[in-house]
Amino acid sequence: MRAFGNKALVTILGLAVLFFLYAPLFTMAVFSFNDSNYTGLPFNGFTLEWYAKVFANEQIIRSFGASVFVAVGVVILSVTFGLPAAIALDRYDFPGKAWFRRIVMLPIVLPGVITGVALLSFYVAIGLNLSLYTIMLGQGTALICITATEVFARLQQLGRSTSEAAVNLGANELEVFWKVTLPNIKSALLGAMLIAFSISFDEIAVTYLLTGRENTLPMTLWSMLRREATPEVNAIATLVVVLSVVLIVLGFAISRSRNALADTGEAAL
Amino acid sequence: MSYIDIRKLRKSYGAGLKPAVDGIDLSIDRGEFVTLLGSSGCGKTTTLRCIAGLERPDSGEILLDGKDITYDQPSERDMRMVFQDYALFPNLTIADNVAFGLRLKRYRGRYTPEQVKRRIGEYLDLVHLADHGGKKPHQLSGGQKQRAALARALITEPDIVLFDEPLGSLDANLRKAMQIEIKRIHRQLGKTFIYVTHDQEEAMAMSDRIVVMNGGRILQVASPEEIYAAPNCQFVARFIDRANVLSGIVVSTEGGQTQVRLGDGQILRCEGNGVAAGSTVGVMMRADRINIAGGPVDGMNMLKGMLAERLFLGAKHEFVVDLAGEAGQLNVFEQEMPDGLGGEVMLSVSPQDVRLLAE
Repeated sequence: MRAFGNKALVTILGLAVLFFLYAPLFTMAVFSFNDSNYTGLPFNGFTLEWYAKVFANEQIIRSFGASVFVAVGVVILSVTFGLPAAIALDRYDFPGKAWFRRIVMLPIVLPGVITGVALLSFYVAIGLNLSLYTIMLGQGTALICITATEVFARLQQLGRSTSEAAVNLGANELEVFWKVTLPNIKSALLGAMLIAFSISFDEIAVTYLLTGRENTLPMTLWSMLRREATPEVNAIATLVVVLSVVLIVLGFAISRSRNALADTGEAAL
Repeated sequence: MSYIDIRKLRKSYGAGLKPAVDGIDLSIDRGEFVTLLGSSGCGKTTTLRCIAGLERPDSGEILLDGKDITYDQPSERDMRMVFQDYALFPNLTIADNVAFGLRLKRYRGRYTPEQVKRRIGEYLDLVHLADHGGKKPHQLSGGQKQRAALARALITEPDIVLFDEPLGSLDANLRKAMQIEIKRIHRQLGKTFIYVTHDQEEAMAMSDRIVVMNGGRILQVASPEEIYAAPNCQFVARFIDRANVLSGIVVSTEGGQTQVRLGDGQILRCEGNGVAAGSTVGVMMRADRINIAGGPVDGMNMLKGMLAERLFLGAKHEFVVDLAGEAGQLNVFEQEMPDGLGGEVMLSVSPQDVRLLAE
């Protein structure tokens, strides 16, 4: 910070950054409690009407459920394929390893629209009907790399010697995984799961192209916004922000409570 | 047949690379403390890891009690390793780290929980960590971590304990204390210890036998005393306690003595013969066997040189004496300090303390 020299300027810059980041969220939250049919001044008083409306709106509740369903599925996909990929990359040398690593990484670099179009034409080609499962598959393949990279980074940090020590003490492969590898990558894994969940939860590009009859929450929000920015939308968005904050705080709390890892460093989240 | 027999062991880390271990043969007896000694890249750690089964050799075999274990699973071998970076499990307490082996499927049913608990106590006591069982590894100092790792390796009572530079990251005083500790435990348990280090002093202090390695090959296998007094080549001589090695040409051999002309023309007599006149040889002298002399002494080699440097080492002084021309330098240990630097000094060394070495 000293490099900037001017303390007042740094403070103003910092506040400006925070303002641009959080003022819109704050505005949105405030208007979600405003007793008016339109998003905007004046304030007519405090109300919970919009929240009541959100919880009474079956379409919103259903799409929220759909989003959670998809996100959970995506997390499962990301872990089932990302975890073994990370372990394979860390522990074994195999032909084409460098290429395998790049290929796993590729989907996150590709724009969502490209992934969406590619998967859509693939699904059409093999005659798969679009549904929540196709969304799940689309997002899941792209998010395998979240788990793979997070866990791989932790494994590299951890080094091989602890698993070698376990084997040397007489542990079989399964015991090495359950007693040594998993406990030490747990926080990275949980972090990756939370990231995958939240990316999936507000994903729209891939979802837009692969959605069937059921909609996810961002899709529903979007279609509502095409008419107008109602206070109801503000209320939903505020709820989503609160949920995200809770998830993130939870994620940090879980990984911090594993202070046993202080040795290997707590860098994943 | 020995307890452990290593035959023609070869291991390379990639096609086209120089092999890390280049066809070594080594036999180790039961209960021995054997040290593989050499600088980094000499193949000592690779050899140890092949014994542990953590590396697959390209060829050769490792026999344990006459049984081929070269390609056995590492977890099937009754040998435990102490790693340089300790490799303690960061998520477990010290007591749980130590008990790790006992709680594996392999040992299940062998001990009751009470026995496990008692053993943890015993082995924490053995390494003086009785009060630290409840701590996590990151709460211990380097020396404590290494003792915990040692207890973890010993608790399943392996017949063989392997050490991979276990004291490499400790400071000098702690290293000394740990050397004494490990030696005490070796004596107390009577197990076979195979130890890897690059520190020749450590190897000398601890081992029954030292295996000096370089470039993936074994140069000499002998007791510390023999390695010190009678290195079999110039590399070993220089590596062990920085012996003075000069090169010269054999002038004559007669009466059981060989005369060697050094680079500055001075003649050095040494015991032994068998090298033809005219051939180039190395001559080795230990710094503690050379004295600074006031004048010629009967029966001794006398060498003239220039006093170039002196270092105070506490119990003694070390002097560096330059010989004329390109003949080289000699390190000399003395109790007393001669006159100022830059002056000429006369050194005396007995012919018995000069050894001929193959070039």
